[in-house]
Amino acid sequence: MSQLNSGSDLVPSARQDGDTLVFEFRGEIDLHNSPELRTAVLDLVVKANPKRLVLNLAQVPYMDSSGIAVLVELLSRLRRAGGKVFLTNLQPRVQSILQIARLDTIFTVTADEAAALSK
Amino acid sequence: MDSPAPTAQSLDVRHGFTPDGGSTLELRFDSHPDHVPDVRRALEHFAARAGFSQHVAADVGLSVNEALANVLRHAYRGAHGKPVVITAEYATESSSGQSASGALRVTIRDWGSGVNPAASPTPPRDPLKPGGVGLICMRRLMDQVTFAPQPDGMLLTMIKRNEQGAVP
Repeated sequence: MSQLNSGSDLVPSARQDGDTLVFEFRGEIDLHNSPELRTAVLDLVVKANPKRLVLNLAQVPYMDSSGIAVLVELLSRLRRAGGKVFLTNLQPRVQSILQIARLDTIFTVTADEAAALSK
Repeated sequence: MDSPAPTAQSLDVRHGFTPDGGSTLELRFDSHPDHVPDVRRALEHFAARAGFSQHVAADVGLSVNEALANVLRHAYRGAHGKPVVITAEYATESSSGQSASGALRVTIRDWGSGVNPAASPTPPRDPLKPGGVGLICMRRLMDQVTFAPQPDGMLLTMIKRNEQGAVP
């Protein structure tokens, strides 16, 4: 397990374990900071080229469609490489917008990181 | 609402009341993503004060967030410093007994491209392609969403009814 530096307060924790990347996101994600989030995570994903990406959203109480677009971009990238994206610890408002956008069934949603890493 | 475009400015918030006791809110600001969080919170707070549940107030905030994001990205094509005016008005409707229903009316005025997003044909949605989520949220979470093209921009009106009878 190696710790990575995202360079962004929106991603306070990033670590790599083999072909798995685990990110913790933090804060309300909307149009004003989603470009920063996109840059931070895409840089690490491009470098690590993981097969599995686990996104822990326990500290994300709110996300708008621009944040959802970042998640979808990550999912598309991982799928093209035959990988999977796991969303864990979804807060109610984030879960709600995923359901409205009908994306809750596109991602693999788990209760916590341990459940994602065991799959 | 055909009016001269106001001068672009940082966020200006004004609270008020209607003659019949309803409450009003007006936000004037320049087009910049940095205003999105404050604008959303202001509308959430206004809706909660008007008597909506926290859950519904959050839905109102998300709808305004998405409407504003569309203005910034599409109407103004990412340009900063352009004017945006948002108004909110909550009015109760008298009814029998102690209960009273009410409605929140939110307008978002821009002086941008004037393109009506509701008039565009809706292709079958591919979840893995970006775009369209904002409009879906607005239509799903609000009771009424109306785009009214103006000679110099767009006026969006969204209405959310409060059937629970909560009075501020």
